[in-house]
Amino acid sequence: MMFQNWIFLPFFLIAYVVYLTVKRTRLKNLWILIASYVFYGWWNPLFLLLIGYATVFDYIMVALMEAGRRKKLWLTLAVVNNLALLSFFKYGYFVTENINLLLEKIGSSYAIEIEMSGILLPVGISFYVFKSIGYIVDYYRGNVEREKSFVRHAVFVSFFPLLLAGPIERAGNLLPQIRNTPRLTPQDIADGFSLFIVGLFKKVALADCLAVYVDKVYSIPDEYNAPALLLATFAFTWQIYFDFSGYSDMARGVARLMGFRIMLNFNHPYLAVSIGDFWHRWHISLSTWFRDYLYIPLGGNRKGSFNTYRNLFLTFVISGLWHGAAWTFVIWGALHGLGMVLTRSIERSTIYKEKIPKLIKQILIFIFVSFAWIFFRASSWDDACLIITRMFSSGLADPMFPLLFVFLIMSVWLYQFAYESPAQRFLNLAPVRVGAVIIMILYLAVCTGSTGQAFIYNQF
Amino acid sequence: MTNKNTLSTETSTNSPGHAPVVLPDVPFSSNGIRLSPREAIFAAIIIAVLFVLIPKGWCLLEKFDPPADYRVPYDLSSDYWLYERYCRLAADRYETFVIGDSVVWGHYVPPDNTLSRHLNRIVGSNEFANLGVDGIHPVALAGLIKYYSRSISGKNVILCFNPLWMTSRKHDLQTEKEFHFNHPRLVSQFIPKIPCYKDSSSQKIGIILERNLTFLSWASHLQQTSYDSLPPSLWSLEHPYDNIFQGAGIETSADLKTTVSQSDTDFPQTSWQDRGLGRQDFPWVELESSLQWRFFREAVETLQKRKNRVFIIVGPFNEHMMKGDSVQVYEEIKKGIGTWLKNNSIPHYLPPSLPSKNYADASHPLSKGYALLAEQLCRDESFGRIILHRIIERKNR
Repeated sequence: MMFQNWIFLPFFLIAYVVYLTVKRTRLKNLWILIASYVFYGWWNPLFLLLIGYATVFDYIMVALMEAGRRKKLWLTLAVVNNLALLSFFKYGYFVTENINLLLEKIGSSYAIEIEMSGILLPVGISFYVFKSIGYIVDYYRGNVEREKSFVRHAVFVSFFPLLLAGPIERAGNLLPQIRNTPRLTPQDIADGFSLFIVGLFKKVALADCLAVYVDKVYSIPDEYNAPALLLATFAFTWQIYFDFSGYSDMARGVARLMGFRIMLNFNHPYLAVSIGDFWHRWHISLSTWFRDYLYIPLGGNRKGSFNTYRNLFLTFVISGLWHGAAWTFVIWGALHGLGMVLTRSIERSTIYKEKIPKLIKQILIFIFVSFAWIFFRASSWDDACLIITRMFSSGLADPMFPLLFVFLIMSVWLYQFAYESPAQRFLNLAPVRVGAVIIMILYLAVCTGSTGQAFIYNQF
Repeated sequence: MTNKNTLSTETSTNSPGHAPVVLPDVPFSSNGIRLSPREAIFAAIIIAVLFVLIPKGWCLLEKFDPPADYRVPYDLSSDYWLYERYCRLAADRYETFVIGDSVVWGHYVPPDNTLSRHLNRIVGSNEFANLGVDGIHPVALAGLIKYYSRSISGKNVILCFNPLWMTSRKHDLQTEKEFHFNHPRLVSQFIPKIPCYKDSSSQKIGIILERNLTFLSWASHLQQTSYDSLPPSLWSLEHPYDNIFQGAGIETSADLKTTVSQSDTDFPQTSWQDRGLGRQDFPWVELESSLQWRFFREAVETLQKRKNRVFIIVGPFNEHMMKGDSVQVYEEIKKGIGTWLKNNSIPHYLPPSLPSKNYADASHPLSKGYALLAEQLCRDESFGRIILHRIIERKNR
């Protein structure tokens, strides 16, 4: 079940009406838990076993941390258990494939045989595992209280709006809201509605639309010339943004309708003026997670330049691997890491900050980010290399890039620039906002099919 | 004025034993739009009004003046909004409607040689409208009548049952294995369950909404008439430099293919034997267990509830094409159908098989076959009493 599918409508209507009825009773959290498990089990009921196991295990570990002296042992056990789950389901095949490749290279006839075809990758596992690890570490550090109620703890792990693709909300923000009765105002309903509609539009009208062209070109890159490959790459840059930020908006909108305030996950990332700035605006819940639970424990910027750069680079490589079990994701992460390392000093210089026009910086970062996306989107390292080579050597040919897509992208870009300019006043006029929402809904009703593509980030 | 960029800090209601919780300031969204409650209500009202007005307004803009021998074009067979519109229009012009699958639609004949046209010739005026849809099996026919034919309530309806849809479990949609069949948007989506229909629950809910929200079926009409039945994004991939709004322009779908230019030369009148088709032994489905027959009965009941005067024609199936036990089983099925119709006092006609050379295949007559069927029908006592009598009465008035 995904937000943009029709099945979500009856599910949410039922879940919401009951939620409103029991909101002020002890049944509130139990009902959210039931709804969350139905939402998740809809994909595959077997997934519930896994999330159930992870929930129980972490609950016990935190209880043991509170009760005993061996806090570090329980912390380690909990983190290892979560990472083991993630590694087995997400990276099992990738690891064995690479070990076998290595064994073959050194001339060994031994090969690990592991039958992964029957094992499904549970959707959303990367998100709820990271959310749980965050809670456990925060408890260990004394940043949050232990959640004593098992039901509330289970709701924290499986809260359905955030279950499939985040945002990876922190325990410090979500648990207090689960413990208390969120006050639901008319503005919350309007906010939830606004977030959901805009998110749906981003996903269905924009991301899915661009995906059609991107998929066509990236599936057989050797048949396309430079203009088509360039446009497909820029189209993917927008597709992944609309896809994931659209999902985040819908998730936040659904949570908001229930009175929950969830952290912002995207903040106009393609207006970033540096790579560091980009990561402050892109998938904020993940980048701050890596900052707090990996970069800082590694030493952060406390142990000299070399270690800072090493920590930055490592964090980005691991972040790349989090996105998918393939070398292309690792390279994508490494590219961003390398970019951060190489530009960190430049970005902090007065010349870069004050002399270079903002627009130039934004364009440069956009081009860098788009280039890195090639590795993210290409199905293999060879394909990525082929795409880059052909971008510079294959000559010109009609890219057959639909004018509709140009229009949609330009509209969003203009909107984005206007949003961070004095024209924001015009965008904030009531008729403009109401008109935009009406146009979005009409466009969705007229121009899209009944079902869309899966979210890109579901696979992570 | 509402702050558009951040959500204000608030304190949530607390449960006993917990300290007050200050919720964090959260920026609203990326490329987001924030409405106030009043604005959201206003937007919802405007949307609701537009959902009603746009399809109505479209009818004023899109020219649609079907001629007497009009039938819904083959490539718009799934355009149920157009079908509904034709029903509304035909309800003002005609008294009797012939409804059924390609046998009524006239798969192998031009528009002026269909059953309804031959009936019109016999009575000497345009009394019968062709509301057949190509490929519409009874399970879908029940949906077509239930959701898109309300405007012909109270009129005469000649409903045609083609036994072809019972010639195998696959035709009867009873196989568990999924396969592509005609008009899935008209069949029962959840209950009763169609065994071979395996669309996702989301798609099924989307279809149910489309049936009940005219705006959505109008949107589907727009896609079918202007964008080659594709969502505009896919269409624009095929036509990258075409103006998408021109595609949706009134001019493109203006005549809705109402011009009738086909003649017998476009439909070679070749019999099934001349086409090289052999005789077949059909694995008939039993009448009691047939899904198609069950839904045909449902269609009849829907029409009766709407005060339609219903007349049923069964066939005319090509009995010459059957071999082995097929003929006997078919006779039993026909007998069973006749008994049910008789028991329920539904006027009907079970035509004998037409001459072999008048069939194009197992169930479709050629032009001469339709002429013959129309003549036989007009000679039938119950048809005369139920349908012709009223037409004559109306003419005399």
